[in-house]
Amino acid sequence: MNRERWERLKPLFHGALEQPPHEREQWLRDASPDAALRADVLALLRSHDTAGAFLEVPAAVDPSDLHDDLDRQIGPYVIRRELGRGGMGVVYLAEDLRLGRTVALKALPPALSNDAQRRERLRREARAAAALNHPGIAVVYALEEFDGELYIATEYVRGRTLRAELSEGALGVARAHSTAIEIARAVCAAHDAGIVHRDLKPENVLRTDDDRVKILDFGIAQFTDHTLTQLTAAGAVMGTPAYMAPEQLLGQEVDFRADQYAVGVLIVEMATGRHPFATGEAAGAQMPDTLRAIADRCLARDPRERYATTRELLAALEASYRDSVKAGPDDSSERAGPRPAPAATFTPVWWWEFHQAAAAVVYGVLAIPLWNARVVIGGAIGRTVFLVALAAIIVSASVRLHLWFTSRFYPGELAWVRGRTGRWVAIADWVFALALVAAGLLVGDDQAALATLLISFGIGIAVVFLVVEPVTERAAFRAR
Amino acid sequence: MPLVYDELRRLAARYIGRERAGQTLQATALVNEAFIRLVNERARGFQNRAHFVAIAALSMRQILVQRARARHAAKRGGAPQRVTLDDAVLADAGAGSGRAGEVDVLALDEALTKLAAMDPTQAKLVELRYFGGLTIEETAEALGSSPATVKREWAMARAWLKQALEGHQG
Repeated sequence: MNRERWERLKPLFHGALEQPPHEREQWLRDASPDAALRADVLALLRSHDTAGAFLEVPAAVDPSDLHDDLDRQIGPYVIRRELGRGGMGVVYLAEDLRLGRTVALKALPPALSNDAQRRERLRREARAAAALNHPGIAVVYALEEFDGELYIATEYVRGRTLRAELSEGALGVARAHSTAIEIARAVCAAHDAGIVHRDLKPENVLRTDDDRVKILDFGIAQFTDHTLTQLTAAGAVMGTPAYMAPEQLLGQEVDFRADQYAVGVLIVEMATGRHPFATGEAAGAQMPDTLRAIADRCLARDPRERYATTRELLAALEASYRDSVKAGPDDSSERAGPRPAPAATFTPVWWWEFHQAAAAVVYGVLAIPLWNARVVIGGAIGRTVFLVALAAIIVSASVRLHLWFTSRFYPGELAWVRGRTGRWVAIADWVFALALVAAGLLVGDDQAALATLLISFGIGIAVVFLVVEPVTERAAFRAR
Repeated sequence: MPLVYDELRRLAARYIGRERAGQTLQATALVNEAFIRLVNERARGFQNRAHFVAIAALSMRQILVQRARARHAAKRGGAPQRVTLDDAVLADAGAGSGRAGEVDVLALDEALTKLAAMDPTQAKLVELRYFGGLTIEETAEALGSSPATVKREWAMARAWLKQALEGHQG
């Protein structure tokens, strides 16, 4: 259609549109003798009537559409948007066209391309990192080279960095502790595979949308980040060295214990919201002693004073977590202010376990004076009293040892075992106490010392069972 | 022109920085924000808001077309050795259609160019309304005409474009 024809069509369209729909055709016939033109107008009118919301909603713009790098394609990767930009490189959200999957594509510093030795190391590290298979570690997909530039493609993790989380303050002791365990698990898996992160920091720890922890850049952080390369000749550090172990800051050889140091910093920061060496009020004030002790050991200046293996660190974190759950919130996790160091060992559960073991031993030892009593009393009565007491000792001591063992090694089943055996302990203890008193009375004046011993132990056991044991039980299991 | 273009890109970068991407913005919002910033900052080169949005709308059109073209190219020839596991995945990456609503941006751009040859005012009007996000009244102001006229022209342009996009151009 040319301009001249358009100009003729235009008034016909506008005119017809002003008519009621059923009169439009008639109106057009009156207005124009050109049948072809009329057909065009009618077609346009039909299009108008069915246009609906066509073009009525303005164009939507994805902000990334406006970004410069956007039209770029790097090898098989189409850049979708920029995820972050650091001192040395850019991270893109990209799509791998070969597999149709979304990846985080990290451009490596150009300087790396010229350094054959570092490139070789990068290749080895990337290969090792790619072999890591742990839910707490973002997967390394590929090391790529396009036009002489190096890129690393890794799993794209949706979530929030720990840095963002910490910017809202401390996580609270329990959450900090469980997060530390998740971090330690991932770090441990990497260390088992011989891979050291070297740059653990809140920016590299992500909490996914489904509340799992994922560590980014395992093994490759040293190549992508600027911290190490910013060491000047004089050894002065220009970046933020907040998470680097002392030996790392000094530019010495670094091993897995440097990661332990970073974990120590993270623990303190998560629990208190403050860096362990932050100036001002004591940062560790709200940390339970056990957790504090673990963090302190991670933060030891000399790497040899840290944990010998990261598995050990993980075990310590897990054990203290179990204890703090068992001990209940009143005891270790929210207690403010310093406590004597040994107190952490003597938790109520520990005392309860001690009580069980000690009672079992004492009951067993009491079989000796009871045997003496049987000889003194003599006859059927002596034998009966002894056998009853012995039966009670065997039942009570073995059940108590069973409880002690369960609490130590299978704490999860303790509640169930206690529920099942509680009545047996009660019956056996009462029978035993009565048997002791009876034996003491029967021995009588003949052996006053022995009688006194038996009677006082009988009464003692009854008192312990009635008064002391319920108290330790309540203290130890209040949380449940 | 480059000023507006740069500003739009800068705004976009800011949205990306705030992790707001993935979410689309209406052209209106972006153009408005760019305008407010430019006016507040220093731009004296614009006669008025109408002048500004006319330029912004054109920028936006170019950006979207450019983007759609790049996607198109990526789909067709960009990755010779790709393994197509699922064509839907690639289609979803949005070859021709772009993300501008349901409309095929490339086809629309082509049709608009044809329309401009017959009726430059109507083409401009569509650009302002669709790519600039202007209302009827704002468009009237920008074009120096009346809302009633704009409404009528808009109706016709829309009808013709729809026809053109459906493939039977008159």
